[in-house]
Amino acid sequence: MKNALFALALTIPLFAQERVTLIRNATILTVTNGTIENGSVLIRGSKIVAVGKDIAAPANARVIDATGKFVLPGIIDTHSHTAVEGSVNEISLPNTGMVRIADAIDNNDVSAYRQLAGGTTAALVLHGSANAIGGQSQILKWKWGRPASEWLVSGAPRTIKFALGENPKSANFRPPEGTPRQYPATRMGVEEVIRKSFIDARDYMAAWDEYEAKVKRKETAIPPRRDLLMDTMADILRGKIDVHAHCYRADEIIMLLNVADEQGFKVRELQHVLEGYKVGREIAKHGAGAGTFIDWWGYKAEAYDAIPYNVALMVRDKVLTSVNSDSDELARHLNHDAAKAMKYGGLTEDEALRLCTINPARQLRLDNRIGSIETGKDADLAIWNGHPLSVYSRVDTTFIEGEVYFDREQDLKRREELRKEKEERLKKEADEAKKDKDKEKEKKDA
Amino acid sequence: MTLRRLVAFSLLLVPLLSRADAPGVYAITGGTVHTVSGAPIANGTVLIRDGLIEAVGSNVAVPADATIIDVAGSHVYPGLIDAQTSLGFAAPSGGGRASARPERSERPPEPTPDFLAIRNVKLTDDDADARRAIGVTTIVTAPSNGIFNGQSAIVNLGSGSIESRVIKSPAAIQIAFNTRPTWTYPDSLMGVMSYIRQTFLDAQQHVTATEIYTRSPAGFERPQENPGLEALRPVLRRDLPVVFIADSELMMRRAMTLARELNVKYVLSGARQAYAMPADLKNVPVLVSVKWPTAPTDKDDREDQPLRVIRDRQLAPTTPGVLAKNNVAFALVSGAAKSSEFLPGIRKAIENGLSAEDALRATTLAPARIFGVDRQLGTLERGKIANLVVSDKPLFEKEAKVKRVFVDGREIRLPAEEKKDSAAGAPASAIDGTWALTVRAPQGNAAIQVTLRAEDGRVTGTFSGDRGSGDIKGGSLDGTSFEFTISANAPDAEASDWVFRGTLDGDAMSGTVTTTLGNFEFSGSRSK
Amino acid sequence: MRKTLALALLLASSAFAQSTILNGTGRKATVAIRNATIVPVSGPTIANGTIVFANGVITAVGTNLTAPSNATVIDGTGLFVYPGMIDSGSNVGLVEMDSVAGTVDTTELGDFNPNAQAAVAFNPHSEVVPVTRVSGVTHVLSVPEGGIISGQSALMQLAGWTPPESVVKAPAAMHIRFPRLRSTSPFATQPPDEEAEKEQKKAYTKSIDQLRDLLRDAQAYAKAAGARAKDTKVRRFDRDLVLEALVPVVEGREPVVMHANLARDIKAALEFADEFKLKVILAGAQDVARVVDEVKRRNIPVILGPILSLPQREDDPYDLLFTNAKTLHDAGIAFAIQSGDAHNARNLPYHAASCAAFGLPKDVALKSVTLYPAQIWGVADRLGSLEIGKSASLIVTDGDPLEIRTNVKRVFIAGEEMPMDSRHTLLYEKFSKRP
Repeated sequence: MKNALFALALTIPLFAQERVTLIRNATILTVTNGTIENGSVLIRGSKIVAVGKDIAAPANARVIDATGKFVLPGIIDTHSHTAVEGSVNEISLPNTGMVRIADAIDNNDVSAYRQLAGGTTAALVLHGSANAIGGQSQILKWKWGRPASEWLVSGAPRTIKFALGENPKSANFRPPEGTPRQYPATRMGVEEVIRKSFIDARDYMAAWDEYEAKVKRKETAIPPRRDLLMDTMADILRGKIDVHAHCYRADEIIMLLNVADEQGFKVRELQHVLEGYKVGREIAKHGAGAGTFIDWWGYKAEAYDAIPYNVALMVRDKVLTSVNSDSDELARHLNHDAAKAMKYGGLTEDEALRLCTINPARQLRLDNRIGSIETGKDADLAIWNGHPLSVYSRVDTTFIEGEVYFDREQDLKRREELRKEKEERLKKEADEAKKDKDKEKEKKDA
Repeated sequence: MTLRRLVAFSLLLVPLLSRADAPGVYAITGGTVHTVSGAPIANGTVLIRDGLIEAVGSNVAVPADATIIDVAGSHVYPGLIDAQTSLGFAAPSGGGRASARPERSERPPEPTPDFLAIRNVKLTDDDADARRAIGVTTIVTAPSNGIFNGQSAIVNLGSGSIESRVIKSPAAIQIAFNTRPTWTYPDSLMGVMSYIRQTFLDAQQHVTATEIYTRSPAGFERPQENPGLEALRPVLRRDLPVVFIADSELMMRRAMTLARELNVKYVLSGARQAYAMPADLKNVPVLVSVKWPTAPTDKDDREDQPLRVIRDRQLAPTTPGVLAKNNVAFALVSGAAKSSEFLPGIRKAIENGLSAEDALRATTLAPARIFGVDRQLGTLERGKIANLVVSDKPLFEKEAKVKRVFVDGREIRLPAEEKKDSAAGAPASAIDGTWALTVRAPQGNAAIQVTLRAEDGRVTGTFSGDRGSGDIKGGSLDGTSFEFTISANAPDAEASDWVFRGTLDGDAMSGTVTTTLGNFEFSGSRSK
Repeated sequence: MRKTLALALLLASSAFAQSTILNGTGRKATVAIRNATIVPVSGPTIANGTIVFANGVITAVGTNLTAPSNATVIDGTGLFVYPGMIDSGSNVGLVEMDSVAGTVDTTELGDFNPNAQAAVAFNPHSEVVPVTRVSGVTHVLSVPEGGIISGQSALMQLAGWTPPESVVKAPAAMHIRFPRLRSTSPFATQPPDEEAEKEQKKAYTKSIDQLRDLLRDAQAYAKAAGARAKDTKVRRFDRDLVLEALVPVVEGREPVVMHANLARDIKAALEFADEFKLKVILAGAQDVARVVDEVKRRNIPVILGPILSLPQREDDPYDLLFTNAKTLHDAGIAFAIQSGDAHNARNLPYHAASCAAFGLPKDVALKSVTLYPAQIWGVADRLGSLEIGKSASLIVTDGDPLEIRTNVKRVFIAGEEMPMDSRHTLLYEKFSKRP
């Protein structure tokens, strides 16, 4: 086995420019292929090219001695609002499915860096939950320091955010004086907004089909209006956009699954889904996944039946389950939530680790690229100074596609540099301001 | 009415009519003429006739009917073009991308793509005066509120009706990424992007539907009239450019991506982070606003700001220099800046790496080119519109003052200069000024200069000379009697207070100095 | 049997807020936990130890002890015994559902409510109570919020059938949220314009002046009340409940918790406290590393937390909140940790453990949620460690309670064993049984 791995490493062509890194002698938590004690990971360019015990370092490799450390795939967060410029909610209409998070990416959000420091490397960044259908989401990797365009994950599926329950019916926030309250105000209305938009979409698709047919017959025809919202709903029906839906109560979960079945699309992932445990088998039967946070409850009526055992019960019902954050703060310690799934409901260590790695990767259809440490996958991983499921552990180094995007030692070293630079720049400004003031004074006195 | 009365009546009318027809032939001579199209001409002449430049050069023959205007010692420039303003339109209160909910009554109504700036602009005399006083004779203006700000207009800041002063309308369609108030679509940045996208799709659909319907209406639903969408027709044909208001690097990149998607000709305006992306702006015309970011006044606030923001604030003024170095076509504009900030903003760019020559180009020929009016404006060349500015020093120097302005070949009087000195506006007191004093002591005389200023009986100022330098303290003035104290440094001795008490007599003063070593006489005179 | 009843009641009850779980049996049995690893906190860990308690009080801790004959013996093989954890800042019992105003009692109207007392509004039957205690947090400081003087907190045990039965110490402290110079987004990249800055400064100064005036009035009131108490011939005056509540504060008998996070706000708060010679405890204190000397000089204890939160400035080190505890520990400043939460006060130990991940010794992290809070709140004679004579408020676990994966097996509060049920466990059981 060892020799085979070594041989494999040699057969992969060496590009002069590609960086080669060997992480050596750590406990490798591959997630999909068990745990390798005293193991190594070889990275070439953006990919993992070898995983195993005793991998020899190629000549030009940077070697990281990770003795006593742990390597975990980069954590993936399927519910994030990080790195969005402006409001994450286009609150104005019940269905704003045409808006796109991709149009507002902000690569200056320091929250992305802080998440890297917690081992999180990728996220599904979503519209907020103010609308039944909010907008098209974007899968990003936290490539801190790189242009925003590079944060987009190439080949990632298109996704859209739905929201059910109290938020889209504006139960907890109201328009200002003078602006009328907007439909829907009940869960009944939420259902109708969603249903109607798909029914309208089918009418839209039919109108365009009729137009295309006329064109084929060489008849003069005025094309129907191209409507970005209807285009989006139509693409959901065509299976081109995955639906990730924020939901709380069991009844609204059933509602959405029924609407989806009726309208002919699949819900890819239910999010928050705090009462998912009540209807786990229905969720599994539909084929939807579930992404949730473990222990927030009681902040709203619809969250009052939330229990930290939610994940365990859904896992038992064979729902593809993940833990996610909906919080810049929680996103930097999702390992805690994974550990909590062991405490609340008795998940095994393997099951717990999957919750924040391969499971969300599968929900995002990126499990061929991320979510575990396997050859051929993107080198998205973090080196921890202890087992990630221990709350006493922290991240030393985080890689995305073979590049280091966070390193604690570097971070500590840079603090003094940055402090000095700030001090110098502020002093320069203060001196210039004083010079100007003195000049003004001279002029006045003259 | 008798014939005689009729003639008399007509003669009365003549003076009213004749004022508009005064001969417009001027020769501006003796100054350094900065043509922008070539090297500056020392002791040059610009000949103006009927609103246009007839000749420019060092040896121009001055025709007999020309009024000669001698500007020896001064500098003559093409009138500056400020290519991004909202002059003549109400400022939105607290609007912009991060706006929450400006009071409805305060908000001017949102323009639409068919909103013609030229029909709606209300330029006051103050607006025009303020610009001319800083050398701007042509502006591009459009409202700044809303997403589609309407169609901008290029207008000369001269006299006469607005119609007579139009250089080009529409100049461009202006689009800003402003959100609407919460609960009105679109109230988020991503919503604004989708809104713009959908509007262009609708415009295309409108064009297609109208064309088909016009050709053969039978059997088709009648397309609705939509002036807003109609106004985008020339944009779709790439005949009319879009000016995107985009300041940050992120916003500029979004605008560029959107523009490519919509396949429109475009200009970026704002662009104060363009220093970070010059290579990507190679073929993109850029209007750089000189309203540079400023630091907070509170010290703690300054230290609490992210380093990223501090760096950006210090790098922003390097943008014009960086763009010039990278051969990016750019102009310097006021944008959201006030008139009084325009020239200081340009100076700051010069301090940060832009040459004065490039600065001049960026406020004359470059904006003219970007808006396609360079055959009429932007340089001092024969045939072009006679917009000129005369300043007593090179225009972008700190002390330079615009002395004369010509628009469309006519001189426009500049507002009387205000005395911009003492903050309280109080008249200069008898003691104000710099004095050279001599203190007579047996050990030897001491020469001390003091610069003093009195306000409401309190005297402040500084001293320098044989006994060190610093601020004076405890100064007072009562009529012609005064007193002040300096902390004097004697050689080989500690600093000690010297109290001056004396009287003023015109430009002279005299009195007694009390020191730890005794009293001495002093006298002095005012140097300026 | 009891569980089925609880389940049935859960299904039957329409009121959200009322827990159906018992808040104590009333029996303070004699109990001996044998052969466990005992972690007293105030002393070294005892392997294969025994702890005995009776009538609510610890009577013996050590190895080779014989249990009294009437003791209920619990086999602690493989298990650990720790003191119950103490949360130094929470809203437990004061809120049921944040979005339902009728259930929220944390924040009274107006800026000055010194006479508002958490102890009277504490709901011992809140669902949050069992949820919290089954995770090993047995005592919480319930704290009012809002305004400038929010009110008085109370140290509560998570057992008891009425608020008075749950009170350990009330009032525990007066809580002042020191006015902040900058409002919610202090670090916006665009500086506030001059007008807004002026307004902020004015409002800030006004708030502090009002606070100052109020405390001065309280001093005067204290003087007058004290004089009248000694001599009834001193002229009678009408009582003022607001000023009355401040009397022990201005007389230095009741501590004041100053809530402030930014360095300039902390400094302003401490200088203000100097003016009135207040007995100060600092809370929040995100910027404490910048003001260590000011805090140390005045010998002020600090309540840190929530630790699992975000630094306010973009440029703040990413681990700022995790390292503050170590900074205080190294400087010899007394501190404790708060969750700052209600529904997830149960996560208190993980806030502490996060500090240990960044340099705080693990045993100190444990102290910061046991002995140190007991000392700071003046109840170290009863709580905070496993010592003879102290309250039998302790937890039995299968590991380090600061580790997430550890399970709490049994909880004793003041010697009474508490049921290990909570709304969450009951719902879990219910839906595990879905046919």
